[in-house]
Amino acid sequence: MTATREINRIVMAAGLAASLVLGATVAFAGDVTLTMAVPDWPPTRIMKKFFDEQYKPKSGNTVKLQVDFIPWPDFYTRVNASLTSGEKKYNFIVSDSQWLGAFVEGGYFRKINDLLNADPEFMKTFKDIHPNALNSYSTYPHKSENYYGFPQFPDVLVNFARKDIICHEAEQKNFMAKFNQKLPCTSEELDAMTWDDFKNVGEFFRRKKGEMLAGKPAEDDFYGIAFQAGKSYDFSSMQINGFIWQMGGDIWDETQAPTSKAEGVVNSPAAVKALEKYLSLIAYMPPLAKTGTMDIFKSDELFRQGKVAMSVNWIGLAEASLDPKTSRVSDSLVFGMMPGTKGADGKLVRWSNIGGQPFVLTTWTTDAQIKEAVEFVKWWLSSNIQHQFAAAGGQSAIKSVYSDPKYVTYRPWNRAWAPSLDWQKDVWHVPQFFELLTQQQDQYDLAITGRQDAKTTQDNIAKFQQRLLKEVGLIK
Amino acid sequence: MQLMSTIQSAKTAPALLELSAGNWRLAVLVGLVVSALAVVALPASGSFWVVGAMSALVAAAFAVNAYRRRYYGGLLVAPAIAVLFVMNIFPLLWSLGLSFFAYQSNLQSIRFVGLNNYIKVLTDEVAAPANWNALINTAMFAVCTVSVQMIVGFLLAMLFAKQFPLRKYLLILVLTPMMLSVVASGVFFTYYYDPTFGILSYVINSLAGGQFIVMDSKAGAVAGIVFADAWMWSPFVMLLVLAGLVSVPRYLYEAAAIDRVSAWRRFWSITFPYIRGLLMLALLFRTIEAFKLADLVIVLTKGGNDTMTISYHLIRIANEQNKTSEGAAISYIILFIVIVLTNLYLYVANPKNREA
Repeated sequence: MTATREINRIVMAAGLAASLVLGATVAFAGDVTLTMAVPDWPPTRIMKKFFDEQYKPKSGNTVKLQVDFIPWPDFYTRVNASLTSGEKKYNFIVSDSQWLGAFVEGGYFRKINDLLNADPEFMKTFKDIHPNALNSYSTYPHKSENYYGFPQFPDVLVNFARKDIICHEAEQKNFMAKFNQKLPCTSEELDAMTWDDFKNVGEFFRRKKGEMLAGKPAEDDFYGIAFQAGKSYDFSSMQINGFIWQMGGDIWDETQAPTSKAEGVVNSPAAVKALEKYLSLIAYMPPLAKTGTMDIFKSDELFRQGKVAMSVNWIGLAEASLDPKTSRVSDSLVFGMMPGTKGADGKLVRWSNIGGQPFVLTTWTTDAQIKEAVEFVKWWLSSNIQHQFAAAGGQSAIKSVYSDPKYVTYRPWNRAWAPSLDWQKDVWHVPQFFELLTQQQDQYDLAITGRQDAKTTQDNIAKFQQRLLKEVGLIK
Repeated sequence: MQLMSTIQSAKTAPALLELSAGNWRLAVLVGLVVSALAVVALPASGSFWVVGAMSALVAAAFAVNAYRRRYYGGLLVAPAIAVLFVMNIFPLLWSLGLSFFAYQSNLQSIRFVGLNNYIKVLTDEVAAPANWNALINTAMFAVCTVSVQMIVGFLLAMLFAKQFPLRKYLLILVLTPMMLSVVASGVFFTYYYDPTFGILSYVINSLAGGQFIVMDSKAGAVAGIVFADAWMWSPFVMLLVLAGLVSVPRYLYEAAAIDRVSAWRRFWSITFPYIRGLLMLALLFRTIEAFKLADLVIVLTKGGNDTMTISYHLIRIANEQNKTSEGAAISYIILFIVIVLTNLYLYVANPKNREA
């Protein structure tokens, strides 16, 4: 073999290899993968299912949605570790709204104003989101015009109740005899409940095993009410905030930084009274509440096991209560809005801490991925998909969707959805969120487990917040 | 002759400032100065790579020096030492360095603060009370869990040192908890203690008639955690003590029996010397583990009812709140306490060395 022939062979081989590589590149040029971190629960599972079954990108590209389903208890830790370690794994993250400050300031979450401004159709959908959900899920600084997130699954607290117990004739009669008022039984009657009414239900339905309950001897100890009173994550804060806002108190207002104060606000007489009210109801809940571990999953489990007459919990957990495979009470459910507090005008004040999550884009997402991500979000927020999502057990914060008369027919709790949205606020979005939250949760745990009174608790929280927020410049 | 002189000249270490590929002293000096400057002047990501490059420079100088001076044995173990350095020593030094900076991992902001983190975690009006409380709780857990485990483990070892029917099967049963994951055991105990579903509350309710909630007070919560921890780790103490017990020569007991020595005297003069070292080892291991107690607390109480331990508190500070450098300072304080305790134990355990 001559040197010339050898060179020719090498050139031909190189050409062949180059054309194969080029061909492959061309063939896969339209492939876009979006990697998403999500909590593992029905609302995100449904989203993935819809995507796999229905999503067809308008661009004609092949778009893959690669989803990491992370269990709820590990979710923040995993996402936080991924972001702060710099691995840049995720393009999309289903983030709790409170994380916005920490991760926007860290440079991880992408501002989306440019994407909205460039796409009138997208902007139109975005502006159709209920303002309370939009403020909570999208804005940082809170209630500013800087947008970061889109609602993935919006959530509110509702009252789950058992018709077989609360509508029973004997129970109705005895309740009337004891409290001189009707025991709430229908959805409308549940909507009209105050926390005092809720307390009465708690007091009335404390039954020992063997005592009569709805015409039969109780199979086990039974309790009237339950709500979240857990130390971990944000469980007690999410419920206590509602009491504080409803009774005229407030939390530190981040939108007024640096002029607003924590001391004098967080421990105002109204806030202390609200915490006292919250604590007074613990006595009527299942005994687990006294251990400070009554998280949303425990109260849900107790309700589905038939141990409680009424339970305030997130809609996101409600689906399992309808399923006879996972619920002993699936055939006797009625839902209403979370109890409220009567205002001076006699009307119910219903402020509550919003739940649910937005999804956000990360700053390292490429232009090609952003283009596909925007298309995906538009598809997700489109009327048809939002209706399907609501019909499958999700919720929609899009006004035109939840205002449709069909919406309330999807699930028994949907009738409480739209009226509740008007009463949603959110906890702080500042980067110090977790520090504020863990200290507050520690303090609430001391109060819930009976080792500290409400005044000392609110004083300690206020003092800590004042000092910390002053240190970081959010309080003058 | 020429070769010999080359070897001899190579064996002479170069002066500190002599520029040579094998001058590891100069490499260490340059490495330290450049690393310190980089850490102070550059952003975290930049200083990371500069410190890495300096470490590589020192390692290369060591390798060349070793090659020139015919330290082939050292060169052969160098890869293992390099792995140890990368996996253990470097992160340890890095975290020690971080404890002198104000670094928040989510904001990627860093500035030198000297000993401020140590002062803050121990004395600051806002941060210190939670740290001290967690430290005191940890000391309490260490005393309670280790005492219970040592006593139960010792008694179990005394029991299993004897032969009795079904001993082999019971031994397997007793050892099983130690092999389970802490989370699995923790979840098991949450249901065991649960006041609504739990068997413990159910049995006590049935017998006493009143409502029984194990974890509704600090004493109950601590007892619940100590019991669960002892259930898992008493078998570990038992195994170590049992190893000592079975190694005692039988003829010593036979001789003692002939001399009609009392049971207590037999134990103190024959058995105890054989198991003393192993008991100290068990005590040391379990104490160190007690200082790391977090997983069981997370599963059972989430630190509620004033059961927050320093390790769990550290997880919250470093991982959840992203205050990495404050977390590093707390870690080194724990390390210091554990080292002091270890030395104290070793001092007590080795009276002969002390006399010498």
